[in-house]
Amino acid sequence: MQEKEAVIEIKDLVKSFDGRRVLNKVNLKVYKGETMVIMGGSGCGKSTLLRHIVGSHMPDSGQVFIKGKDITQLPESEFDKIRKRFGMVFQSSALFDSMSVENNITLPLREHTKLDENIMKIMVKMKLELVGLRGFERLMPSQLSGGMRKRVGLARAIALDPEMVFYDEPTAGLDPIVAGVVNKLILDLSKKLQITSVVVTHDMQSVFSIADRIAMLYEGEVIAEGMPDEIRNSTDARVQQFIKGSPEGPIRFFQEGDDYLKQLTE
Amino acid sequence: MKITKTTQQGVVICHINGDIDINSSPDIRKTFAELTASYQKKIVINLAEVSYIDSSGLATLVEMLKKIKIYGGGLRLSNLADKVKALFEITKLEKIFQIYDTAEQAVAGF
Repeated sequence: MQEKEAVIEIKDLVKSFDGRRVLNKVNLKVYKGETMVIMGGSGCGKSTLLRHIVGSHMPDSGQVFIKGKDITQLPESEFDKIRKRFGMVFQSSALFDSMSVENNITLPLREHTKLDENIMKIMVKMKLELVGLRGFERLMPSQLSGGMRKRVGLARAIALDPEMVFYDEPTAGLDPIVAGVVNKLILDLSKKLQITSVVVTHDMQSVFSIADRIAMLYEGEVIAEGMPDEIRNSTDARVQQFIKGSPEGPIRFFQEGDDYLKQLTE
Repeated sequence: MKITKTTQQGVVICHINGDIDINSSPDIRKTFAELTASYQKKIVINLAEVSYIDSSGLATLVEMLKKIKIYGGGLRLSNLADKVKALFEITKLEKIFQIYDTAEQAVAGF
């Protein structure tokens, strides 16, 4: 049987901020064409992990391979070539408020290509059709709802026909129906365009509706990895607590010990 | 990527050999511009040797179709590989292009 091709491979990744270890020897593979969801609570290190994959953070140690190249060792010019092969959808959408929808989407095209203006305009129409926003070219971001802004962010992320798209909390702040629309869009685009996707989220609805595989991050470590059913049936109490959103369990939200009174009176 | 042109029964057939992407689509656009500048009315684009076309390539074909329609000409596509055909379907472009299995069929239909 042919072995699956890992387009992203993270090896022993370690990162600390101000002496606090945020990623602790993380190992993870993402295979061509799959949607890998990295889930975990706030502050578990999942967004930091994503920032290492897109090269905006450098690790203290460990490696991040994209299509076989260790991006932690690549000169900027080489990394730029890889950067063109992926798109990023930001939590905040990160649209430029002073630019129209069309200009936001053409931004990567202007930056990385010398395509004619007419060709770019046609491409924008095609991308907007893919995200269900036909005819929205001339609107400004301030005239759009949160869900629409996310979709424009997605249209911009796929402007250069990337092989990989990374999503940072794509459904954060959206109502359930709009979140469902965004989830369906991620799923459709991944399958139709055969894009490899990495999605960081703590939205359980999103996790189980779009993931081919799931990795759960807890205190900077991957504590579970597998297909949705494997994660759903995991015997790890931390995974079950997270899935069920239970306040009681091994994941503690309140500090224990009696040093509180001591701290108050010191 | 290479483009060769042949003529059959008054129809210009452009045979494209190689992937159509951000690097090669401007060259195709240049060839198309020459054809539309001379008001060539019947054109077939043979995509038999194209295994991948990106959205800049699709946009280039759309632009050409728009230009040809202005002077009453016709543009047809032929020999689309399954992966290429899938891209036309995803972007709904199969509804605006006339697509044929072979260049001969495309020529015969004019």
